[in-house]
Amino acid sequence: MKRLSLTARLSLMFMLAVTGVLAAAGYFFHQLSERHFNELDQHTLHEKLRAGEALLGELQAGDDFERLRPRLQALLGGHSEIRGFVFDAAGRQRFPEPLPGGADPRLLALAAERDGELSLDGRLWRAEVGQVPVGQSTLTLLILLDVTVHKAFFHTFSGWLWGALVLCASLSGLLGWALVRRGLQPLRDVTQVAASISAKSLRERIPDDSIPAELQQLVQAFNAMLARLEDAFVRLSNFSADIAHELRTPLSNLMTHTEVALTRARAVEAYQDNLHSNLEELQRMSRMIDDMLFLAKADNGLIVPDAKPVALEALCAQLLDYYQLSADERGVRFELSGAGTVQGDLLMLRRALSNLLSNALRYTPDGGVIRLAIESGPGEVSLSVANPGTTIAPEHRERLFDRFYRGDPARREGSPSNAGLGLAITRSIIQAHQGCIHCDSAEGWTTFSLVFPLRRAARR
Amino acid sequence: MKLLVAEDEPKTGTYLQQGLSEAGFTVDRVTTGTDALQHALSTPYDLLILDVMLPGLDGWEVLRLVRASGREVPVLFLTARDRVEDRVKGLELGADDYLVKPFAFSELLARVRTLLRRGNAAALQTQLKVADLEVDLLKRRATRAGQRIDLTAKEFALLELLLRRRGEVLPKSLIASQVWDMNFDSDTNVIEVAIRRLRVKIDDGFEPKLIHTARGMGYMLDEPDAP
Repeated sequence: MKRLSLTARLSLMFMLAVTGVLAAAGYFFHQLSERHFNELDQHTLHEKLRAGEALLGELQAGDDFERLRPRLQALLGGHSEIRGFVFDAAGRQRFPEPLPGGADPRLLALAAERDGELSLDGRLWRAEVGQVPVGQSTLTLLILLDVTVHKAFFHTFSGWLWGALVLCASLSGLLGWALVRRGLQPLRDVTQVAASISAKSLRERIPDDSIPAELQQLVQAFNAMLARLEDAFVRLSNFSADIAHELRTPLSNLMTHTEVALTRARAVEAYQDNLHSNLEELQRMSRMIDDMLFLAKADNGLIVPDAKPVALEALCAQLLDYYQLSADERGVRFELSGAGTVQGDLLMLRRALSNLLSNALRYTPDGGVIRLAIESGPGEVSLSVANPGTTIAPEHRERLFDRFYRGDPARREGSPSNAGLGLAITRSIIQAHQGCIHCDSAEGWTTFSLVFPLRRAARR
Repeated sequence: MKLLVAEDEPKTGTYLQQGLSEAGFTVDRVTTGTDALQHALSTPYDLLILDVMLPGLDGWEVLRLVRASGREVPVLFLTARDRVEDRVKGLELGADDYLVKPFAFSELLARVRTLLRRGNAAALQTQLKVADLEVDLLKRRATRAGQRIDLTAKEFALLELLLRRRGEVLPKSLIASQVWDMNFDSDTNVIEVAIRRLRVKIDDGFEPKLIHTARGMGYMLDEPDAP
């Protein structure tokens, strides 16, 4: 089933509220006036009954009823809206005129019930009954009051009330619809802008200056989402372009190389040389694809590191042992200080650190010193790798962790083994460990700092 | 040594068969999972190399049925997909190793040899000898033509690895993982440097040269004109 639109819902609620209030007001007015009329009627009936009872009470046993008739007539006969009847114990009517054959049975029944309502001569009467003892016998006095007008009033009132309710309901429905439509106009405007945004127009933003306060947050959240989307989209486009470029270079080498080799017959050594060279290109491409897959997994949150205690000083020592051979060749020394343990994935952390170290080694001049310092603080463990070398300008520093980014564009083709993914991978690994990485470069020293927050498990 | 290669991609299959045959193995090749299962159940192979994505039965299913029949033949999986759950699934089913495409052939060869060696533990020698190079693994001592050679711990480990797998081209990644426990490709020249240093100690001033470079693939230790 289709959900009701917001306009329909709000209009319906508005309509129900208006009708409900109106119906309640009508009901209370109805009850109040009915009560008021009842009290008035009661009062009149009571008065007449008391007077009639007093009159009948003057009768002594054996007295002639006829003696009272003129006075009764004066009391009860003069009004068209009041009627009085007197019956004796035998059920004979004695007033207004004696009926020899017994009274109207409906009146007698009413008299027995002591009060009630009765339809008589096309009008509606309300009754009240009194008993007056006369000697051994009892006289019954029945007073009827004409309440036709009152009943008619309530009938008309109810009719009007229902009519008014239906009319108001429709009117308020319509009015509510118009108001809500008008009130929701900004929402429609926002929707229209949002609907018009495509991958090509991610730069567009919904203007939030003329928007009601309730929608401000939504619009701001939407704009923020657009900004993130745009950022991710631009990165993705650049990344794809970079992949194409990075793969195109080795592919073009392979093609040229192979084609040239095949143009004429050559010595076996030449073919071997050619195949070896191709193999190197292929290995480079294969490694790049591995690295890109790792990054793609990291982007999708598929890299889930272990959380086992890893002693950083031991890890560093092991890596330095490995890189020492390479460093010795160029007279580069390592200095390692401090100790600290983090919760993490040994293999991934080793890869992250290895990237940092090979990076440091690459840019350290011959005979330099690479300093590794581990610091254990109360809530975090940090590790810094500092190497001497050309200071990196701030604008390059920010982009250092981007994929395929190399500080020096001229070096791009120069170092085939370095695809420019190492630092991006390092950052992905550190972030998967809830840590952060940043780079400082000043006065001929470049420092990469890793900070790992200590998780609860680590403080145990 | 008899191997079964189940690979549906014709080029890959042909090259695998050629490469493994030239490395001295007898290789049967099939292109579907059903054929792979039939062969594996009817012939006693020393190793099965299964592609995960095979027509008919997939590699996992073949492995499951082979294991269900009670055969303990080692199984190496090849796959183009590298997802942790795939690895776990393969290992749970009883696969012995797992290689992700694209892989270096030298890497495959090294793993195949490791798996085949796993069966016969008798290879635990303590004295290794190639030409006039002698290494005593217990005393951690190496001599060439009777002359004592001083080696660092890592150099000794590297030499031991090369000797134990003499005649095999060992990829740099394998050397890095076996000697330094570095299980990833790094872009440094550490292995080159280590080999160069070892060469200076083992080969400089001696004939014949024992350590050979297989360009782009790795390193190998062997007598040049070994039969």
